[in-house]
Amino acid sequence: MALKIEKTFEVPEPVEKVWAFLSDPRMVATCVPGAQITAQVDEKTYKGAIKVKVGPSITDYTGEVQIVRLDTENHEIEILGKGQDVRGRGSASMKMTGTLRALDNSGTEVRSVSEIGVVGILAQMGSRVITEVSNIMFGEFTKNFQARLKEPSDDPAAPATGADVKPIKATAVAWQATKGLFRGKSESGS
Amino acid sequence: MIYKTSPEIGGMGHSVKRKEDLRFIQGKGNYVDDVNLPGMVYGQVVRSPYAHARINSINTEKAKAVPGVLAVITGEDLAKANLAWMPTLSYDKQMVLATGKVLFQSQEVAFVVAEDRYIAADAAELVEVDYEELPVLVDPNKALDSGAPLVREDREQKNNHIFHWEVGNREATEQVFQSAEVRASVKAFFPRCHPAPLETCGCVADFSRATGRLTVYLTSQAPHAHRTVLALVGGIPENNIRVISPDIGGGFGNKVPVYPGYVCAVVASLTLGVPVKWIETRSENLQSTGFARDYHMMAEIASDRDGRMKALRVKTLADHGAFNATAQPTKFPAGLFSICTGSYEYAQAFCEVDGVYTNKAPGGVAYRCSFRVTEAAYLIERVVDVLALELKMDPAELRLKNFIPEDKFPYKSSLGWTYDSGNYEGAMKLALDRIGYQELRKEQAEKRKKGELMGIGISSFTEIVGAGPSHDFDILGIKMFDSCEIRVHPTGKAMARMGTKSQGQGHETTYAQIVAQELGIPAGDVTIEEGDTDTAPYGLGTYASRSTPTSGAATAVAARKIRDKAKKIAAYLLECNENDLEWEPGKFFVKGAPSKSKTIQDIAFAAYTNFPPGMEPGLEAVDYYDPPNLTFPFGTYICVVDIDQGTGEVKVRRFLAVDDCGNIINPMIVEGQIHGGLTEGLAIAFMQQIDYDESGNVQGGSFMDYLLPTAVETPHWETDKTCTPCPHHPFGAKGVGESPNVGSPAAFVNAVVDALSHLGVKHIDMPITPWKVWKVLQEKGVAA
Repeated sequence: MALKIEKTFEVPEPVEKVWAFLSDPRMVATCVPGAQITAQVDEKTYKGAIKVKVGPSITDYTGEVQIVRLDTENHEIEILGKGQDVRGRGSASMKMTGTLRALDNSGTEVRSVSEIGVVGILAQMGSRVITEVSNIMFGEFTKNFQARLKEPSDDPAAPATGADVKPIKATAVAWQATKGLFRGKSESGS
Repeated sequence: MIYKTSPEIGGMGHSVKRKEDLRFIQGKGNYVDDVNLPGMVYGQVVRSPYAHARINSINTEKAKAVPGVLAVITGEDLAKANLAWMPTLSYDKQMVLATGKVLFQSQEVAFVVAEDRYIAADAAELVEVDYEELPVLVDPNKALDSGAPLVREDREQKNNHIFHWEVGNREATEQVFQSAEVRASVKAFFPRCHPAPLETCGCVADFSRATGRLTVYLTSQAPHAHRTVLALVGGIPENNIRVISPDIGGGFGNKVPVYPGYVCAVVASLTLGVPVKWIETRSENLQSTGFARDYHMMAEIASDRDGRMKALRVKTLADHGAFNATAQPTKFPAGLFSICTGSYEYAQAFCEVDGVYTNKAPGGVAYRCSFRVTEAAYLIERVVDVLALELKMDPAELRLKNFIPEDKFPYKSSLGWTYDSGNYEGAMKLALDRIGYQELRKEQAEKRKKGELMGIGISSFTEIVGAGPSHDFDILGIKMFDSCEIRVHPTGKAMARMGTKSQGQGHETTYAQIVAQELGIPAGDVTIEEGDTDTAPYGLGTYASRSTPTSGAATAVAARKIRDKAKKIAAYLLECNENDLEWEPGKFFVKGAPSKSKTIQDIAFAAYTNFPPGMEPGLEAVDYYDPPNLTFPFGTYICVVDIDQGTGEVKVRRFLAVDDCGNIINPMIVEGQIHGGLTEGLAIAFMQQIDYDESGNVQGGSFMDYLLPTAVETPHWETDKTCTPCPHHPFGAKGVGESPNVGSPAAFVNAVVDALSHLGVKHIDMPITPWKVWKVLQEKGVAA
């Protein structure tokens, strides 16, 4: 199953500060619900994990996150993440392109385009549910992203690794996904 | 005309209440999952999340360490016993548990056995499989491309092609097309759907080390055939295998194949020496067991300008999934699809089908269908409507013009079938009259002026059922006869057993009515038993509307054998010549002296107490019936729909089914069959599809996505009938179980297309969801 999700949001922080944050997968990972970076492999590659629980189905993906392209001049980053469920229940991949644009009000516009691929038990939920789950995750991500940017900068590695990360909430997600279905036609609904 | 017995006897034509319902409506049926044996343990299948992946390793240690887990079986374990693969019913083979790679999502990978069902399910979660994903083949249209992922590496043939099958005269058909005044064609996809019986599949395998016997309680539509398959696959002497199909909660073709779960349960029981129960969950049933249809079809008709059809050609791509596990008579890889000429006469016809492998669940079962007849009926009834549009002719008029005339039966079709009997015009005229066709057309014209959407859909289908005559029909070499054994007890009550197996059809009632009709023993005094291979005579089971044409016929013939013997006993008792006796159901009497008579009950008692010297005692008979031909039920269905322009929702306003299934055993049961089949047809037309995304993930794998019709969605069904007896069946019956499922999809789709035809719509593929209709309305600028 392939989904494409595009999101644009603004943060009241200068573009360079946002870029420093966005260009570091360890920082970004702290904003993704259920995700953590577990190790750095090389300059551009990290090992990570993400737990997603939808209804009774928990998928526990582990894999790699790689910076495919880093365009500091234009403030654009392309990240490729791939993971397999630890118990072999499926796999997921995500290609995300993040672009920053300085705004007149000295804030920054963050634009992300993500192509998500899901194979396995989770994918059986169908695109209607998975798109909604992704939407909710991106909503959480945006909130966390904005909140983390406001925090005083510290050692980026500290909050990102080793913490016991909770999976995103099952029932809440299911309920919000259901509401999402009735809110309007989802982008890939068919 | 069939002699009408008294209501007390309850022979043919009586709406005798279903004997089996008393226990069913009280929740006292005995299904496989109700079987609980001492010491029984439970199996759980571990399934693949991937549609196509290499298995690098399977780690069962964590699962085995769970307290209560008795065994974890993998494909490697089965391979040691040469059981990793099993034959399918179509001369292919299928993995029992995957070795090397998995070929479809939800494929069976390991089998966990535990003391408790919950422990088995939990432990199955702990089986760790290291997969390496492979490119996935989902679209059958790409299956034969060079560079397409190879689904079956195990075959010598290194492509995804399974078979090419053709029938008819290609060149002669082509010639007719070249000179045709009018051509009409349709590309129609009959989506992959699933029988989704109320009861999922399962079994209890019970191997006794003490006796060396294996008893398998099985959700089986064909217990005898399954016993033979178990003997051939498992190498167990067939006399040491007993298959019992207890009450079955619907089959619809889904319970014809042998599934890996059965084999795993048998292996586990043989290994552990205790009974092993395996019952599928709903999702396992939808995702891994026999699907139906999945035919990508193209049909083209050549006709003259007056609407006289000249030729038909059909080209089809059949998606069989990862293994060719379709339940099909050997000679017919595309089943009886060549009935696609339908109810019409053509000078020439040609039909070709190619089967391909894809990374999807195996199947292609005959879902309430006599092997691809549903696909064929849908296609022809669809393309006839397209021709009517092309000719600007009324679809009813076009059909009436091209029907095979009543006086031409038995009719040899251009694709080789000999239709037994028919009166297509009669059924259609009754249907047109009853629904008020002309008034409906007037109403439609007025509504169109106002911009309202209303459609009328007709389907004048012809079926081909009752497989089948031994010269053409076998499954794995076993001829498709069927059987009946009747024992009349001394007190005049009887017991009859058949090689078929009811899954809800009401055999316990209808077979008893046949005995009642033939012997005059009240239907209530006749016990019917099926499904136990230790007691019932051999037969190929119940599917393809074959029970009445085969075992029903055998029942009548066996009863007649008993009647012949009864006549001899009656003559002895009445001290007269056999030739002086006359029969009316229930008694023999002396011609001209009706008071001198012996009832069948008197005769039965005498058969054990006072039989003629030299005669073999007892009153029993058995018959193995090899039908001389198939039977050809038919009918005309008319559907009236209204479409909501705002939502695209299709509302079925009326649906009339006029069926002709020859002579009827029990009118109430026939009507029930028609209601059930129409409801399934409605679901197929509007609601259901087992779809896959581009990675091979099942998108219809639970009842969240695979919708079942409830009372809310189901319209009121109107039924009527004509009666054209089958000339070769002992009591003129044809079979009816599938007609409504075969005939109705085209009526629904034709009605929707008819409602939209003035907008230039010629075809919409099923399932016709509101979303699909709404999109069409948007495109045409009509959506509110």
